[in-house]
Amino acid sequence: MIVVSNVSKMFTQAEECVQALSHVSLHVAQGECVLLKGASGSGKSTLLSLIAGLAQPTSGSIVVDGEEISKMPERLSAKMRRERIGFIFQKFHLIPYLSVQENVTTPLVPENIPLHVIEAKAKRAMERCRIAHKAHMYVHRLSGGEQQRTAIARALVRNPMIVLADEPTANLDRKLSLSLIEELRALKHEGVTLVVATHDPLFFDLDFVDQTIELHHGVLRP
Amino acid sequence: MLFSFRWLLLEYAVRSLFRRFGKNFFIFFILSFLIFILSSVLMIAESIKAELNATLKTLPDMTLQRFVAGKQTLIPVSRVDALLEIQGVGSVTPRIWGYYYFKPAGVNFSVVGLDAYEEPYSATMARLIKDVDWTQRSPSPTMIVGEGVKTILRENYYNDFFNFITPEGQTKKVGIAGVFHSDLALEANDLIVLPKQTAYEIFGMNASDATDIVLKVSANVSEIPTIVAKIIEKFPDLRVVTRDDIRVSYQNIFDYKSGFFLALFCVCAFAFFIIVYDKSNALSSEEKKEIGILKALGWDTDTVLQEKFFESFILSLGAFLFGLATALFYVYALQAPLLRAIFTGYSTLKPPFALPYTLSGSMIVLLFLLSVPVYIAATLIPAWRTSIVDADEVLR
Amino acid sequence: MTLTPEIIALLTLDVIFLGLGTLALILSLRIAYRWDYAAVTPLQYRLTKQSTLVAVIIKYIFVLKLPLFLFFIYTCDKLSAVITGAMCASGVVNSIGFGLDLTLFKLFNLYGFGFWLLLHAEDASHVRLAYTRLKLILFALLCVPLFTEIILEIGFFTRLDVSKIVSCCGTLFSAASSSASLSLLFNVDARVWVGIFYLVYTVSLIALWLKSTAGVIVSNTLFLIFALISLIVFFSTYVYELPTHRCPFCLLQKEYYYVGYGLYVMLFTGTFCAVGGGLLASITHTIPYRYWRLSGFFNTAYVVSISAYPLAYYLKNGVWL
Repeated sequence: MIVVSNVSKMFTQAEECVQALSHVSLHVAQGECVLLKGASGSGKSTLLSLIAGLAQPTSGSIVVDGEEISKMPERLSAKMRRERIGFIFQKFHLIPYLSVQENVTTPLVPENIPLHVIEAKAKRAMERCRIAHKAHMYVHRLSGGEQQRTAIARALVRNPMIVLADEPTANLDRKLSLSLIEELRALKHEGVTLVVATHDPLFFDLDFVDQTIELHHGVLRP
Repeated sequence: MLFSFRWLLLEYAVRSLFRRFGKNFFIFFILSFLIFILSSVLMIAESIKAELNATLKTLPDMTLQRFVAGKQTLIPVSRVDALLEIQGVGSVTPRIWGYYYFKPAGVNFSVVGLDAYEEPYSATMARLIKDVDWTQRSPSPTMIVGEGVKTILRENYYNDFFNFITPEGQTKKVGIAGVFHSDLALEANDLIVLPKQTAYEIFGMNASDATDIVLKVSANVSEIPTIVAKIIEKFPDLRVVTRDDIRVSYQNIFDYKSGFFLALFCVCAFAFFIIVYDKSNALSSEEKKEIGILKALGWDTDTVLQEKFFESFILSLGAFLFGLATALFYVYALQAPLLRAIFTGYSTLKPPFALPYTLSGSMIVLLFLLSVPVYIAATLIPAWRTSIVDADEVLR
Repeated sequence: MTLTPEIIALLTLDVIFLGLGTLALILSLRIAYRWDYAAVTPLQYRLTKQSTLVAVIIKYIFVLKLPLFLFFIYTCDKLSAVITGAMCASGVVNSIGFGLDLTLFKLFNLYGFGFWLLLHAEDASHVRLAYTRLKLILFALLCVPLFTEIILEIGFFTRLDVSKIVSCCGTLFSAASSSASLSLLFNVDARVWVGIFYLVYTVSLIALWLKSTAGVIVSNTLFLIFALISLIVFFSTYVYELPTHRCPFCLLQKEYYYVGYGLYVMLFTGTFCAVGGGLLASITHTIPYRYWRLSGFFNTAYVVSISAYPLAYYLKNGVWL
C-alpha cells in the first residue's frame, strides 16, 4: 500500500541545511497499522507529509496505492489526498466557527459533487462517529470528545484507504486518548491502513499494531 | 470544463469572510464609502448635465449682444431688418428682459417681456404660456409668474397683484394672471412673463431698444460659423453667443470640477488599495494554519485561490451594491446635501431645482468596473501568497 | 482628450492590465528558462508556485477582457452620439487611424488568451505538467499583441477628439471608402462573397466530419473572415432592410434589438472552439470532440440565423434587396 524507498529530505532553514530524513525506507501493506515513534523533531511529521504528498522528498520515491505520489504535480496529489488519504491532526485542527457538518464536508469542497451526495456522505461519516446529532453545532462549542469524533468523521468522509494520524493524542487527557485508540482499532478492523506518528507511551503495547518504527534524527532505527 | 461552479466553496468563502469579521468589515465599510462618494458625484454630474441639456435645447441658436466700451448695452430694434437680409437667418426676435431686484425678499426675478401676437422665441416659453389665457384683457396689465415667484410674493402679502417700482420711483401695478406649472424647474421658477409695453415701463427703457436679439438659423447647423462671421462683419459692436458656446462653457465647468474631484478620489482610492494590499498580504499564523489544514485535507492551490477570489468578489460586490444603493438614496431622495456644493457653479446661477433621475445601465456597469475589478486586482497577489502556503506547517 | 468616466474606467483597467501583465511576463520568462520538472530543488519548487501566479493573472485579464470588449464597443457607440457625423461605433472607431486595428487586436487577443486557457487546463491536469514551458512561452508571445492593444487603446482615447467631424458607417463601408482594402470588398459582387461564405461553411463541416485537424483550423479561420465580409457586404443590409446600409456595428444598437451581440457571440464561440480545439489537438495529439461539437453547433446556429434575415425579407416582400 505504501512503499517508501530510500527517501531523504533536506530543509533550508536560516541559510542552514537541515537533514530532516535520510535514506528512510518503509513498506506498509494494506490494512496494516504502523506506529512511527520518535522524539519531537525526529522527522515523524516530515515523513507523514511526504507520504501524503504535501511535500516532495529531496531524493528517493514514495509510492502510495501504486502511484508515485512524490513526483506528482500538486493538483493530482491533492486529488489523491482527497480520495484515498484521511488525516487526523494533533489537537484535531478543526476549523473554528464552522459547524460539525461543515467541518466534515471540507474535504469534499474542491470537487464538483451534487449537494445531496455531499450531505449523504457527511451524514454517513457523522453517524459512524456518533456525532450526527450535533451536526449543526459550531465545533468550538463542542466538548473535547465530540471534537475528536468530528475530526475522525472528517478523516473518514471519503472512505479513505489510508488514515494518517499525527500525534493524535497530544494535549488529550487519558480518557480521551483511550477513546481515540478505540476509534483507531475500529478503523483497523475495517481494513483501513493506519500510520500513526506518536511518542505517547499509551500506544506502545497495543495489540493491533503490526509494525513499530522508530525515527531518530531522521534515521530509521530497526 | 474551464470553470465549473462550486457552491460549497462559495459558502465556505462567505463563512470565511464572517470569521474574520473585524478586518473584513473595515474593508467593506471603507470600500462602500468610496463607491458611495464616487457614485454620488457621477450621478450628480450626470443629473445636472441632463438638466442642463434640457435647458440648452430650449435656447435659441444665437444670441446677439451689443457691447459699448466693453459693457453690454441695449441694441436698437432697427437692426432687425438688416439681420434678416443675411442668408441662412430664419427668424430674428428682439428681446426685452432683465432682472428685477425685489428688496424685501432679497431675490432677483427674471422679467421677460412678451407680446401676445408675437411668436415666442423658445419652445419652453411657448409651452409655459400655452395653458394660460394670455388674451384675457383686464384694465391693468397682467403677468404670469413661476411658482417660486408666486411663493415669495405671497409671503409678502401680494396675492393678486404686485407693485413694481420703476427707475423713476413710481409704482407700476401688475395683476397676477396665472402661474406656470412646469417640470422644468430650472428655467421657470424665478420667471415673470408680462407684456412688452409693461416691461419697458418697469425697466425704464426706450421702446426702440431691445436687451438683446435672438436669432434662429434656417440653414444647416454647420453654416453657423459663416453666419456669425457675416453678422460681425456687418455690426462690429455685436457679440454673438451661439448655443454651442454656452454648452461648451458649461461643459468646461463640469469637466474641470469632476476632473478635480476624480483626481482627489484617485489619491484616496489608491491609498485604500495600498492598505488592502498590505492587510491581506500579512498572513496571520491562524490563517496559515487554516490553509495548511485545508491542503492536508485535499485542497489544491487553485481551490484555495478560488476561495480567496470568491471572498474578494463577494466583499467588493456587496460593497458596490451597498454603496450604489446608498448613493441612489442620497442623491435622488435626499437631493445630495453637501456634495451638491461641488457643482455650485451652476446652482448659484439659478434658483433651487430638483436633480432629475437619470440612472442608466451604463452608469451601473461603469461604477462596477471602477470598483469590483480594481479591488480584486489589489487582492490578487496577496491571495496567491496565501494559497501557496506550505501545508506541512500544520504537521510540525 | 476626452475624459468621460467610461474612458477613465477603461484606462484604469488598462493600467492594471499593463502592470500585472508585465509582472506575469517577467515571471513566465524566468520560469520558462529555468523550468525542469524532474528537479526537486527549492528553485523548481518556487517556480511551480510562481507559475500559478502567472495563470491567475492571465485568468484575471481574460475574464475582464471578455466583457470589456463589449464595453469598449458600447463606449464607442455612446460616444458616437457626441461626435459629429458618427452614427454608430464604427465612426468613432475609425476617427483615429488605428481604431480598426485596435478592434482587431482586441479580437485577436480574446482568441489568443482563450486558447491559452485551454492549454493551461490541459497542462494542469497533465501528470507531468508537460506543457508548462510551452504555455509560458506562448504567453510571452501573446504579450506582444496584448501590450500593443493596451498601448493602442490608451493612445486611442487620449487622441480621441470629440469636436472632430468623422464619417458615418454609410461612407466607411461602401465602395467609396478611403481604405483601399475595404473599398475592394464592395467592388466585387456581393453574391461572390456570399457564395464563398456558404462554401467555406460546407468545407468546415466536412473537415469536422473527417476529423482533420489542419482542415478544421484552416476552414474555420476562413469561415470567420468570410463570415465577417459577407456580413458587412450582404447580410447586414437585410438586418437594416436598407440596401445601402452596410455596417458591422449598427447591429449592436437598440434599434435592431442588440441582435449583433448574439450573432457575434455565436460566430466567435463557434470558430474559437474549432480553431482552439484544433491547435490543442495538434499539441496533445487527441481529438477534442467536445470543442468540435460545440463549434459545429455554434457555427451552424450562426449560419442559420444570419441566413434567416434575407430569407424572411424575401418571403415578406417577394424581392431581394
